Amino acid sequence: MTTKPRPNRAQQQTLRAFLKTQSKPASLWLKLSIALGTFNAILMITGAYLLAQTIHNVMFEGESLAQVAHLLWPLAGIILLRAIFLALSERLSALAALKIKSVMRQTLLTKLSLLGPSYIEQHGQGATLNTLHNGVEELHDYYAKYLPGVAYSALIPLAILVVIFPTDYKAGLIFLLTAPLIPFFMILVGSKAEALNQKRWQQLAVLGNYFFDRVQGLTQLKLFNATQTELKQIAKISDDFRHTTLGVLKIAFLSSFALEFLATISVALVAVIIGFRLFFGTLDFSTGFVVLLLAPEFYLPLRQLGSHYHARLQGISAAADMVTILNAPLPNNEADSVVNTITGSRLDKLNSIDIKKLSYTYPNSNEGIHDITLTLPKKGLVAVVGNSGSGKSTLFDCLLGFHAQVMPCIYINGLPLTANNITQLQSQVAWIPQNPTLFYDSISANILLAKPDATQPELEQAAHQAGALEFINSLPRGFDTLIGEQGEGLSGGQKQRIALARAFLKNAPILMLDEPTAHLDSQTEQHIQHAINMYAKNNLVLVIAHRLNTVKHADNIIVMDQGKITEQGSFEKLRTQHGVFYNLLNATKQGVAHE
Amino acid sequence: MNNFIRLIKLCRPHYKAMLLGTLLATITVLANVGLLAISGWFLASMAAAGIAGVQMNYFTPAGTIRFLAIVRTASRYAERLVTHNATFLLLSEIRVNMFATLSKLNNVDLAMSRSADLVNRLQNDVDVLDKFYLNILLPMLVALLSVPIIMVFMAAYNANVALICFTGILLIGVVLPALLSIKLNKNSHKETQLSAQLRAELSDTLTGLRELSIYQAGDDQISKCNKLNQQYNQQLYNRHKALANSDGLSLLVVQLAMLGAIVTIVPLVYTGAMVNVELAMLSLFVLASFESVLLLPNAFIELPNVLKAAERLFTLQDKVSTQSNNQVALIDTQYDKNNTSLTLNNISYKYDEHTALTNVSFILKAQQKVAIVGRSGSGKTTLVNLLTGLWPLQQGSITLGDQNTPQELHSLSNDTRASVINILAQQHHIFDGTLSENLRYAAPNATKDEMLEAIKLAELKPWFDGLKAGLKTRLGTGGRNVSQGQSRRIAIAQALLQNPAILVLDEPTEGLDNHSKQTVMNAIMQVMSNVSVLTITHDPALLSQMNNVIWLEDGKVIAQGSHKELSSAYPDYVALTTRF
Repeated sequence: MTTKPRPNRAQQQTLRAFLKTQSKPASLWLKLSIALGTFNAILMITGAYLLAQTIHNVMFEGESLAQVAHLLWPLAGIILLRAIFLALSERLSALAALKIKSVMRQTLLTKLSLLGPSYIEQHGQGATLNTLHNGVEELHDYYAKYLPGVAYSALIPLAILVVIFPTDYKAGLIFLLTAPLIPFFMILVGSKAEALNQKRWQQLAVLGNYFFDRVQGLTQLKLFNATQTELKQIAKISDDFRHTTLGVLKIAFLSSFALEFLATISVALVAVIIGFRLFFGTLDFSTGFVVLLLAPEFYLPLRQLGSHYHARLQGISAAADMVTILNAPLPNNEADSVVNTITGSRLDKLNSIDIKKLSYTYPNSNEGIHDITLTLPKKGLVAVVGNSGSGKSTLFDCLLGFHAQVMPCIYINGLPLTANNITQLQSQVAWIPQNPTLFYDSISANILLAKPDATQPELEQAAHQAGALEFINSLPRGFDTLIGEQGEGLSGGQKQRIALARAFLKNAPILMLDEPTAHLDSQTEQHIQHAINMYAKNNLVLVIAHRLNTVKHADNIIVMDQGKITEQGSFEKLRTQHGVFYNLLNATKQGVAHE
Repeated sequence: MNNFIRLIKLCRPHYKAMLLGTLLATITVLANVGLLAISGWFLASMAAAGIAGVQMNYFTPAGTIRFLAIVRTASRYAERLVTHNATFLLLSEIRVNMFATLSKLNNVDLAMSRSADLVNRLQNDVDVLDKFYLNILLPMLVALLSVPIIMVFMAAYNANVALICFTGILLIGVVLPALLSIKLNKNSHKETQLSAQLRAELSDTLTGLRELSIYQAGDDQISKCNKLNQQYNQQLYNRHKALANSDGLSLLVVQLAMLGAIVTIVPLVYTGAMVNVELAMLSLFVLASFESVLLLPNAFIELPNVLKAAERLFTLQDKVSTQSNNQVALIDTQYDKNNTSLTLNNISYKYDEHTALTNVSFILKAQQKVAIVGRSGSGKTTLVNLLTGLWPLQQGSITLGDQNTPQELHSLSNDTRASVINILAQQHHIFDGTLSENLRYAAPNATKDEMLEAIKLAELKPWFDGLKAGLKTRLGTGGRNVSQGQSRRIAIAQALLQNPAILVLDEPTEGLDNHSKQTVMNAIMQVMSNVSVLTITHDPALLSQMNNVIWLEDGKVIAQGSHKELSSAYPDYVALTTRF
């Protein structure tokens, strides 16, 4: 349940148009399903004629069972066909919806991967995931039920009218005159009921939130000794909800009341009028009976459309999020249009990395990094330190090529980075974030991500280097152990070591790493420390450092403050210099309780 | 079955509303069946009378038809209101029941339901149970009431037709749905599994987008997602196929029942054993009678889900009743703030195989400030959990009070314990409600002035001054977002209002940026001035304010002393407490 406001009428129009274009991949199936459903209605009408004729013949012509057998056998055949066609039609519409959802999810995922991590972070990872997972599922009934329903609500009554008019135009007129009343009333009462209905759903969401919010905070309520009071509160709020909602429902149900009333009264009216016509002999019984049989069927599609109202709103609401993603502009790759000077000269050998006057600010904020100029060595351990918000992660993101705008400020072997050679740079880098992502797969698959064609000895070597081999081998299924969602089942230290093994397997000339701030067990910390120091002997290791020991071992320390590099140098040099690093170090060493 | 009966017992307080709803729903169904049957009879009779040229009383049946049409619509409207009212009554009942159960459970059991997954499951369970009456009980009761009435009327005309119709109703209302339900259930396990797997894979893809591009594995991951997506859809298709088949079969049964009725009646009419107009009436009667079980298939499909949800709820309830059996009388007492010390004596704690604490002992004297330092997994969190009194002790004792009259923490009443100890958890929960409601959870009788004073002392004044609605500002999920630093300061304001003898803080400055850290520190200093404090922390700023620091490693105390002493004596301690 969401408390998100639903799209207004104008938005709904565009969203419905969007949903319609998205039905293309399966429009054939959808059309076939609707055709079958309509054909079924024609069969139903034929069946009604056969039935009416049978009853007429038996009642008024005094025919025996054998005499009406020629009517009953086709009727049985029609019944069988109708059952088969109904099942087929429903299967097809479900299949169409599944196909559309499948394509939609693929399209969204591809687009999201092009938009990159910063887009997802801006829009909330949870919300994006929901759109991708539940949101897409919510389209099902829109395509499988609502869209065919719309077609049926026009086609079936039309088919019935076409057949009824020639046989008895007066009954046809009754249908024709009452039919528009249904949508008319639906719109009239519907617009008010829609608003009320929305309010009701929102209230229900509020109530749901209240309850689960208290469940989540239950321990705290216990600590405050407030559970008894809360119990009364929950009962009271539920009761209030009941009263207000019932008030709303009284009106909201009026719309369906009006609908039912019209349909039922129309059927009753048709029955009475036809009855009198039969009595006065202006109509033969079989025609009259057909009209009676078809009367409920005439209104049924229109009434069913009303019951798909929720499917419609759900689909449209879900579509709103999808449109946002699909319409989001891709990061501009102006660099693409510039004549690419590096084409041909591959970045196989990394000789130098220079950053010149790099500035990046996040959209809609003034946070970011400013005027960064930096030359990185070919090997050694470089530590980046600074308060949270000083721009360390942003600098890393720029270097990893996640902000296309700043690429021209980064020079590899003297040449600027472009969208074309970024993957070549990325192939030279291994990277471990604060909280590494472990994929829902085996441990070996997670490590092999870095080098899919690695041999088993290479894999084990990398795991050994990362200090992970021992615990992996101690697992019952070893490297084949499946890792749950978000690395479920592994400790923080174990996850770190698997990510480290992954990075080592790539054996890239540059290793970038954001040290975990959480306190890992001492064994893990020492392992990581040692492994990184060894790696730095032959490669460049760039680390966002949080631990004293890392900083002490660094060949060079880059100190950042408010988006700028304020100092760099060795630990000994910076420790004595009364700058930002000195303050950082002493803040943590002695504690600054008093300003 | 047992759970079904327990669920019905849960409904008992509202049986009146529920029965009224059932009655109205039955009237709706009967009115509709009657409407169609009488229409058929009316048409046939009018035609027969017309042909025969005799007069007939057409006012009564014509009036009845109109009357039934109105009854049907009106009772349908009333039914919807009444049944929804009953649903809401039950909804409230279930929530209150669930909450009472959860609040009585001890935290060892609760800890397992702490994970987001289980809270989500609870949410689904409640959602499913909410509709127990409307989706399951009501259709069943309506069928039980209306089917016999319909059968009696039908049998009065012809027993064989009634038998055919009853068989059809049984097939559609019970047999088909039961089969479908079994089939769907078989599928549903695989479905949920695949859905969870797909979600996990998608989630991994989104969180790991950076890593995927660094390791150039993005395309592989996307095609993996797509494959899983296809697989999931294939699985869903099985469900939809089953539903479509069942719809087709239902149509077949209804129409064949009608055809069967006609085949039975035609010879009777031919021989004159039955009045001819009854053929028209009965064929429509049979068709319409299936409306009595219209909602039953859905009830059968939903039933297993409801029973599973109920089972989980009742399992929790049973746990509570076994727990409350071995409860002892609790002590109610008052403590002098300036004379209350906390003594931990030989505390050991084990989770299954894993030992979390081994023989931990220390004393927190009145007004003393003590810190606990240790790596993750050293046992700090277990220690805090035990101090809440919500976790059972396994070994050792925790006592409160002066030397003469020490009391076991775990034998105190909730009221007393809450007034003596305040625990400020790391993930402090801000409730969905106004600021004053949040503050009053800690101190129900706090006045407005007291709250304002606490807000000031907790360094919330600048934030508070920016709130247009003041104390009435809505916070939490449905309201204003509160940062982590603000949420901790609100917790401190709560502690100030509660005015406990002992304050336990769990990493109060962890995860905050420098500015919030400073304001939280200042707030802590305010609250520390007249209370005993036990805090878990690695923050040197806080550590330097403590009388004593206890260093915990692997569940054991390995060193004690002031921050200064430990810093100069142990380089490992410096490394542990230094973070940039």
